[in-house]
Amino acid sequence: MMATLLALSGCGGPLSMLDPAGPAARDIATLWWVMLVGALLIFVFVLALVVAAFRRPRTAAPTHSPRDEAARERLFVVTLGIAFPVVVLLALLAYGLVIGERLLPRDEPSVVRVDAQARRSTWDFTYPGLGRTSRNVLHIPAGRPVDVAITTADVIHSFWVPRLAGKLDAIPGHINVLRIEADRPGTYSGLSAEFSGPGYSHFKFEVVAHDPAGWADFSEDGTE
Amino acid sequence: MRALERHRKLTAIWSSEPGFRGWFSTVNHTDVGKLFLVTAFVFFLIGGILAMLIRAQLATPHSAFAGPEIYNQIFTMHGTIMMFLFAIPTFEGLAIYLLPKLLGTRDLAYPRLTSYGYWCYLFGGSMLLVSMVLGIAPNGGWFMYPPLTGPIYSPGINTDFWLIGITFVEISAMAAAVELCVSILKYRAPGMSLDKMPIFAWYALVTALMILTGFPPLILGSILLELERAFGLPFFQADLGGDSLLWQHLFWLFGHPEVYIIFLPAAGVISTVLPVMCRTTLLGYGWVVAAAVALAFLSFALWVHHMFTTGIPHMSLALFSAASTLVAVPTGVQIFAWIGTLWKGRPELHLPMLHILGFFVTFVIGGLTGVMVAVVPFDWQVHDTAFVTAHLHYVLFGGFVFPILAGIYYWLPQVTGRKRFFRLGEIAFALIFIGFHLTFLAMHWVGLLGQRRRIDTYLPEDGWTTVNLVSSVGSFIMAMGIAIVILDVVVHVLTATRGPRNPWGAGTLEWAMIIPPPAYNFASLPHVASRDPLADDPDLPLRLARGEGYLGEPREGRRETLMVDVSSGAPEALVVYPANTRLPVAMAAMTGLFFLSLLLKFYWAVPIALAGVAALAWRWVWQLGRSVDEAPAPVGHGITLPSALGADRSPGWWGTSFLLVANGTFFGSLLFGFAFLWTVAPGWPPPALFEASLGEIAVGVAALAVTVAAVESAVRTNRAGGRPLAALLAGLIAVFCVVAVCAVMMARIPAPTEHAYYATLLVLTGYALFHALLTGLMFAFLIARVRAGFTSPSRRAEFTIVSLWTKYLVLTGALVLAACQLPDLFT
Amino acid sequence: MTDVMRIVLSPLVWLASFSAVYGLNGLLCGHGLVDAAVGSLSVQRAILVGAYGLALALQAAILVGLHMPRFASSSGFVRGVSVATGMAGFVAAAWSLMPVLTTSLC
Repeated sequence: MMATLLALSGCGGPLSMLDPAGPAARDIATLWWVMLVGALLIFVFVLALVVAAFRRPRTAAPTHSPRDEAARERLFVVTLGIAFPVVVLLALLAYGLVIGERLLPRDEPSVVRVDAQARRSTWDFTYPGLGRTSRNVLHIPAGRPVDVAITTADVIHSFWVPRLAGKLDAIPGHINVLRIEADRPGTYSGLSAEFSGPGYSHFKFEVVAHDPAGWADFSEDGTE
Repeated sequence: MRALERHRKLTAIWSSEPGFRGWFSTVNHTDVGKLFLVTAFVFFLIGGILAMLIRAQLATPHSAFAGPEIYNQIFTMHGTIMMFLFAIPTFEGLAIYLLPKLLGTRDLAYPRLTSYGYWCYLFGGSMLLVSMVLGIAPNGGWFMYPPLTGPIYSPGINTDFWLIGITFVEISAMAAAVELCVSILKYRAPGMSLDKMPIFAWYALVTALMILTGFPPLILGSILLELERAFGLPFFQADLGGDSLLWQHLFWLFGHPEVYIIFLPAAGVISTVLPVMCRTTLLGYGWVVAAAVALAFLSFALWVHHMFTTGIPHMSLALFSAASTLVAVPTGVQIFAWIGTLWKGRPELHLPMLHILGFFVTFVIGGLTGVMVAVVPFDWQVHDTAFVTAHLHYVLFGGFVFPILAGIYYWLPQVTGRKRFFRLGEIAFALIFIGFHLTFLAMHWVGLLGQRRRIDTYLPEDGWTTVNLVSSVGSFIMAMGIAIVILDVVVHVLTATRGPRNPWGAGTLEWAMIIPPPAYNFASLPHVASRDPLADDPDLPLRLARGEGYLGEPREGRRETLMVDVSSGAPEALVVYPANTRLPVAMAAMTGLFFLSLLLKFYWAVPIALAGVAALAWRWVWQLGRSVDEAPAPVGHGITLPSALGADRSPGWWGTSFLLVANGTFFGSLLFGFAFLWTVAPGWPPPALFEASLGEIAVGVAALAVTVAAVESAVRTNRAGGRPLAALLAGLIAVFCVVAVCAVMMARIPAPTEHAYYATLLVLTGYALFHALLTGLMFAFLIARVRAGFTSPSRRAEFTIVSLWTKYLVLTGALVLAACQLPDLFT
Repeated sequence: MTDVMRIVLSPLVWLASFSAVYGLNGLLCGHGLVDAAVGSLSVQRAILVGAYGLALALQAAILVGLHMPRFASSSGFVRGVSVATGMAGFVAAAWSLMPVLTTSLC
């Protein structure tokens, strides 16, 4: 039902980060909606202040005595300009840091590790312990955290499956680890999200999340 | 002397050569400022046309309008032109045109440098345009990430155009920044203490300081990448001890401050125009100054937020996330100070005010989405999507283009002396405002739906078709608005309706002169006693024209102005400017030859160009001297002032100081790069450390010590009335020993193309070698000066300048020596 | 020029300490000090918190200095602005380095 609602509101789509299918993407989508509401409230408040300045009735000429000036500075600069953003931003920063901690790839017994190597127009995935490889299709078990160790054979790329998690770059000489997880079995579109020259527009891959039986088949079946 | 006679005499002294020829020899800030602004606007139009091409391409899925090769050039050039050839030069032009008028003086500190900067900008920008016309424009994105832009994956000349052309253009930014710093601090109307400076001058000062410290990392990065491309020094190649992340650090060390370098001058325009539109003064002047300073510093600690997805340690992300949210506070202070100003006064809806309202709406949204992307997890999703493209256009269009349009409509009557006739501006504003928000609100959405930046095409099933079409339609509405603005400005310049002298009732000094402004600005310089001198004394223009201020008596055809104390604005010295000359354009052409021969790999021409630059520079400085002592001269109000040539802190000393701040930032970035590679890059440690040599250390340290002792001795001897030829000669010999040590070390570095360690050492020693040669040239110059009788105790400025450069050489030379030799000694 | 230095000193020191802590953390993460610990306290955390304390102390010292007649500017305006940027430097240090107390190290 949620999916239908999203599709109706224009948030759906195979690459929409607002139609999350995993815990990381869901946390971030919630973060976005919270920030959107907060931002709208602040925006309306600021514009109302601007509009009110034009519509204020003026009975007397504006006063410029030092006392009035100091009072205005206290209201506009200290209260609205400093105290107000400090409070809002502290709350937001704390929220962001908590979510950031939750998304870290921590040691857990159920974690599956795969290696991903990008080169222009292909992603190669290898599955340590399974002795398998696949090209442009990443196989993962649904409902289990997966750590993708990302690197590149040529220029910089970025590994991004918008419905599952945020992106992480593939940088020559470095290995970066991204935690992804799919709630349910299915196919999820992935993108290479760092400009890499001609062919970039079509540089995509897929993630197939298997149910336990499918994952067992994949793990044992050397031929796919 | 009557006012008209004074006007004629001053015009004869200050005016440029008439007609077309005058363009090449003018050094007048009003002329050069206008040249800058018109050129920048032409680049804005070219960049805008490229933007239209991008939107045409993305309007529908499966678009075959441009192939990826052309499309990549289009978006790379759109970003590059808007950032480097439009936004920064517009600030330079505006500041160059306005500041002397706002500060109540006659020109900027170094008129020939103003002109040199313009020609470097024009020539460098033209190089990039030529590459576009030939279809070999840069195509790696305006951020030029290696290895994509390295020699292996981009072997063509496209990237070289960017690296070399932009570095050429940056010379103009550095020149303008040095000049603006010195002009704002030292060239003001007498009595204008720091607290009485027009607020725009504060913003320009902060921006200029940011350019001085923000651009050197980019210049260093460009040099390193070009060295890698041209000579195979592997700074960014992971398999040879380099690291592509080093480029990202250097680029964003520049790139983030750049955003504020663009926003702050626009904020200065708003702080100037908004109070006038409300018939009041700016609320919280001191707070706004403090906020601008705080913003400038905070912006230097945000660069990693462009690198949140590169896999750097988690706590580093948290540090930069915290700093990135914090930057919203000083921005908030300014926004609410402006709203408070609206409340304090009686806002009137003139055309500049409409654009300021456009700024409020747009920039507040851009700021709010900016706080969103500062939150790391959210950035992991939207990084490199259309959401970020939309965000940055809200910040830059809202935070720069709207304020600049407000500024154009506010100051246009000052530039032309005319008043607006047709009401085209209002229609243009409506089209721009509606078109902009249609284009970029939609772009936020399509980014959240997964559309990446920089793609040239997409599929119908991606679900982005409608939103993209809306966005493209909006962009064409906006383009029509911009076209009408141009029409409006052209009509304004051509219609001959004379306007009133101070149409907005402003209180600042740029309205206290004849309009359009005469070449000399003020017939006599005002004594300033408040922040709004014209509001205090509406008769001020008349009194200045009558010669009641300082320097009201034109003397011997000399272009004169005053230098003041930084804090109090008390007059200190009398400055005589150089007059019209073609030296700047010749110097820029010779500099262009240097860059062109690098670009085309005519390396045999490089030494010729360098020798040419050195010869012209020699002439440039030589012209400033006097062969006899200048007696202190009366400047009006019963004050007599000495010549600036006799000051320990002469104009040249101030300029050198600021240039060395930039140079030091460059050197610091180089040391940072060395440390970064050593600690972070894969492929370290190198095969073998550079072998230490106690002989080189001993000779190097001794030579550096002798150099600085020699220059100090020369300064003292000259001040005592002697001719310090012996000391200077000793210094020159010592400098050649430094050159020799650097050369020996460079020759000993093994195989710089095989490891980034050796490549970095080569650059470090090369840096020291260059500065030793430069210092040697200065010693030779001083010797020639002494022999020609151009020095005396009251003509001592050049000694203190060379002393500064020598001390800089000693400091950096010692550090280079340590960086090369010590690692081996301690392992 | 001294007046200009008074205004920029505190933010300049903040920028230096912020960059130093960032560099220090990168260095410690890169060189395997992550797991070293004395009792329950991680060595890396202790070093970073020490740096945090030092940065705050520096900012506090500058703020005190800006209030002392010996170092304060003779211009009331510069005094006001330098105290404001001094406060900004202090808050910036407290705020931007706070993650060393709360966040995972590497």
